[in-house]
Amino acid sequence: MPEPQSDYYSQLGVSRDASQEDIKRAYLEAAQKLHPDKNTAAGETELFLGVQQAYETLSNPKRRAQYDATLSPEEKINLPYEYKIIYSRPNLVQLDEPQMLYVILDLQTPLEARRIPSPPLNVCIVLDRSTSMKGEKMDMVKSAAVQILRNLRPQDILSVVAFSDRAEVIIPASYHQDRSRTEARIQMIQPSGGTEIFQGLEAGTKEVMRSHDAKRVNHIILLTDGQTYGDEQKCLELASKLNEHNIGISGMGIGEEWNDIFLDVLATRTGGSSAYIAHPQDIKKLLLKKFDALAQIYAEDVVLDTKELDGINLSYAFRLQPDPSPILMDEPALRLGQILQDTSTRVIFEYVIQPTAVKSDLAKILDGTLKVSISSKPLPTPPFRIHFQRSVSDNPETDTPPTEILQALSRLMLYRMQEKARAEIREGNLEAGTRQLQTLAANLLTQGERSLAQTIMLEVEHIQKQEGISDEGSKKIKYGTRALFLAPPKKELIS
Amino acid sequence: MIICSNCQHENVSGTLFCVECGTQLDGVETLTTKSVTQDQITDDLKDKSAAVEPPSSPANSWISLHLMDSGKILPLASRTEFTMGRLSEGQPIMPDIDLTPYQAYASGVSRLHAVIKRESEKTVVMDLGSSNGTYLNGRRLNPHTEEELKHGDVVALGKLKIQVLLRNV
Repeated sequence: MPEPQSDYYSQLGVSRDASQEDIKRAYLEAAQKLHPDKNTAAGETELFLGVQQAYETLSNPKRRAQYDATLSPEEKINLPYEYKIIYSRPNLVQLDEPQMLYVILDLQTPLEARRIPSPPLNVCIVLDRSTSMKGEKMDMVKSAAVQILRNLRPQDILSVVAFSDRAEVIIPASYHQDRSRTEARIQMIQPSGGTEIFQGLEAGTKEVMRSHDAKRVNHIILLTDGQTYGDEQKCLELASKLNEHNIGISGMGIGEEWNDIFLDVLATRTGGSSAYIAHPQDIKKLLLKKFDALAQIYAEDVVLDTKELDGINLSYAFRLQPDPSPILMDEPALRLGQILQDTSTRVIFEYVIQPTAVKSDLAKILDGTLKVSISSKPLPTPPFRIHFQRSVSDNPETDTPPTEILQALSRLMLYRMQEKARAEIREGNLEAGTRQLQTLAANLLTQGERSLAQTIMLEVEHIQKQEGISDEGSKKIKYGTRALFLAPPKKELIS
Repeated sequence: MIICSNCQHENVSGTLFCVECGTQLDGVETLTTKSVTQDQITDDLKDKSAAVEPPSSPANSWISLHLMDSGKILPLASRTEFTMGRLSEGQPIMPDIDLTPYQAYASGVSRLHAVIKRESEKTVVMDLGSSNGTYLNGRRLNPHTEEELKHGDVVALGKLKIQVLLRNV
């Protein structure tokens, strides 16, 4: 399938008005990936030569001007995905105080690509076999693993690693034609020992790296029921390394002991997410669902590279679907996760806009570059320059914000309330924390979410008696409010 | 800046939901806040006559409230504790029994006014720090103090008079 010829600017992933510095930076970045000494996939050398040529032309102002004259203004870039931007209001207002703007970015697999076979998997299940897993939990995990093995397509690669304070490769990364022996190996896993996540993660990485292939979905699923001690930093460093190789991590915590904050950070570093499994009976269902989602991946490693703009502050980012999760904001490159074939990826951004940014008629909110990697396409997808911008007017508009924004925020407000309450409680401000939880429960009631509201009120009682939040309640509240994003609204919004 | 009508928190201009209490902010169409309890109660009321006798159905109701001004009777069941108050748009406060349809606002009923509880042997009423007070047979109750209720007692939330009809007590 011939890709349409793109112009020099889109080859470098910069806008037409990019500065010389931008162009140089984009070139260096592309060169690092595509240089013949480094690249792996066929065709990347050709792509590098294209980038080289683009840079040579654009880096020279005289040649650039000549080239610009040949460009037709409406040239549209042919993107391998569809995108939609929804703003909370049509324009910003000239104000002497800060103002808020919410923006939803929606990324979707184009229709014609929804039916192409999804890329083959290269997945390692890293499972906790520590003593605490004994009994129902272990049985359920084993039965889920066997089920996954049976569901594999011939082209999929699976490995299984079990860890306690050391790791053992139960099934090395391979295709699985003869399943009876592999199934027997899974059945033989016996629980014993403590929990050292790094051991498991490291062994899992080795397995995935053995058959690592850009044309596959390379992924690690980490299942644990406990806390890891002392090796968190090593785990996070490993996660960053995995991310460079485009290997995602999904964390799944069983029961109440595990460290959800750590697992969240670990997974979001790779654009993945964590999930909470309250009851052992749910292990199988959730694990199989995760596998289904992996087999549906169209694009991976969706990264929005943001540039700092004067007076614009991104204060919060949250993925609304497919896997509701906060987006890590510790670096300018925001990892948005994956784009599935049948569900769009939706992220909401909250911006605080300072008066300095609304001085002119047009306020630039985001000047970013969107990068994705699509396993089914042989050549790397060129980065796409994306802008959020709003015109500035003197008077505030009175339009009702779009339903998508209202619906998303009515849930996000609940999630953030529990985030705040838990933070207060962790810092010992029990009173403030419980008050927030009570407000949260009241809000849930007005939205018709009775059972979650009840869970919260029970936890409030617990906090008042025990002077602290229970591990179980804390996770139920966090993942319960996250699950709201996927549920249809119990009460309709009227507009 | 937008000041939240519910908690007075100062929100940055353009905010859609108060960051402190979650109330949807002004300048925006509000969410529906019709309460489930209210629906149930009005449904229950449809085929109830205005008799002052303790109603026989539903069978499991342990207490009924006779709203003396309107003559309506609310049989209550399924729980042992009911908060009474007035629902107001866009506010997260949810009384179990919403008295809005009975002129609650004009009668000075607070949003969360009082609670009626069944304890092992007795039924009690407690004022929840309401603005206009709760009266038992004309006597003003101290807030947050439980007082026992007898069949036929008249509780007034502000000016809204309610006769308490206990079943089998």
